[in-house]
Amino acid sequence: MAGFFKIAIRNFLNGPTTDPYPFGETFTPEKYKGIIAYDPELCIGCSTCEYVCPSGAIKVTEKDDGTGVRFVFWLNTCSFCGNCGYYCPTDAVYNSNDFHTARHQSEKFIPTIDDDISYVRCKRCEQKIKAPVEALLIRAYDEITEEVRHQTSLCPDCRRQEQFERM
Amino acid sequence: MGEIYKVPVGPIHIALEEPVYFKVNVHGETVENVDILSGFVHRGMEALVLRRNYLQNMIVTERTCSLCSNNHPFTYIMAVEKIAGVRIPERAEYLRVIADEVKRAASHLFNVSMLAHLVGFHSLMTQTMETREVLQDVKESIWGNRMDLGANTIGGVKYDLDKDQIKYLLGKLISLKKPVRELAAIYRDNRIVRARTEGVGVLTKEDALRLGVVGPTARGSGVDNDIRKAYPYAAYSKLDWDVVLEDGCDVRARALVRLKEVFQAIDLVEQCLSKLPEGPVALQGYPRIPAGEGVARTEAPRGELFFYVKSDGSSKPERMKWRVPTYLNWEALKVMMPGNKIADISVIFNSIDPCISCTER
Repeated sequence: MAGFFKIAIRNFLNGPTTDPYPFGETFTPEKYKGIIAYDPELCIGCSTCEYVCPSGAIKVTEKDDGTGVRFVFWLNTCSFCGNCGYYCPTDAVYNSNDFHTARHQSEKFIPTIDDDISYVRCKRCEQKIKAPVEALLIRAYDEITEEVRHQTSLCPDCRRQEQFERM
Repeated sequence: MGEIYKVPVGPIHIALEEPVYFKVNVHGETVENVDILSGFVHRGMEALVLRRNYLQNMIVTERTCSLCSNNHPFTYIMAVEKIAGVRIPERAEYLRVIADEVKRAASHLFNVSMLAHLVGFHSLMTQTMETREVLQDVKESIWGNRMDLGANTIGGVKYDLDKDQIKYLLGKLISLKKPVRELAAIYRDNRIVRARTEGVGVLTKEDALRLGVVGPTARGSGVDNDIRKAYPYAAYSKLDWDVVLEDGCDVRARALVRLKEVFQAIDLVEQCLSKLPEGPVALQGYPRIPAGEGVARTEAPRGELFFYVKSDGSSKPERMKWRVPTYLNWEALKVMMPGNKIADISVIFNSIDPCISCTER
């Protein structure tokens, strides 16, 4: 018993080891996988997050009126695995380190994140296309020239057409 | 005297950590024989994984069990990588070992703390859990979750360690050595713990070989069957270590194996960090998974974990099957329990480190 007695006395002298949360500060690591955060500015609506989400917490659908893409996230279904953030090509979806998951009863049946991105029109044919995202352009091109800007403002068909015309 | 009583233990029982039903025949206080019934936490995971794609299954397999949650996706991913025929970067191999060994140390400390709980030494239990909390903080800081790390991905690992994190990880692990050494001495020498564990739940080496038990249960009976040594995977063949063996054959020997493996895990992580090569941590892009079959096995904290994956070339597996260590180990309970007291049932049950949620899936 002597062995443990030493530990017990040391514990008594050291005081509590738990954090006094919520009355004091607690430790939240930077990498903590908390509630999903979403940035529609960066989103390209590629649905990768929906494809890799094992619990079906994310749904990316075309909007009813056809003006854009709707991103819906249900917190209660999320398993905080971080797959969406890992595979997101533009870091539009990521785990914040917010661990406060309690919600009001009135919010129970509405999505935690319900956001959308609007389509833009192709400069040539006015067809609806997904807007180019700056973060992805920076990754794809060494230098973003006026030419790149012009090309990305066209729909795939018009882009092809324009390339042929030039040849 | 002379009469045999039937005593049901479980499935919901205060001393059992997980739902399993023992039908125990007792003669006085002594167990005559035991029958095990299971099936209380079946979730149909083998059917569930067939409806999800390979990337989703990395997470679904992780949710099979919380304590060996790194080994399930790890083994699954190894099997898938065999089908795809990809070789992961060298740095990823080391990082996989680091994640695995941190989980192993935490799992073993959890099991020995449960042992302290079951022998009624609660202050030792809380102290062991408190010590384990250091590892929980490490996991939370480096991987982002306390249990389900999500460390592996098909073609590498999802995380990388920079200089600060290596320093943090090393500092935490070194700070862990002294308290674990102190606790190990109590588990080894304390009068109460010894009285409840020594000579209890004996599984002789012959029986261990006959029943094919795996993991610390086998190593506590002197059977050397560590998959990490026998069929090295990831970076284990590049590290310098020896299999921990004990020849006590009882509950105490199994606990001592686990405690020694905690030190071994710390040592392996230290070796990995000092040898960590530079380079990428994962392959570029997602490999195509052709039709084919693959098997893989790893040493989970509880023993050998085996995965079979069959692919038909689509985005979802055609068949997946996994065999978990507890499936082999719980047969040994029928050998361990007879001759012991009723009060020892839960102690013996805990000594195989049962994971019913893995076994029934």
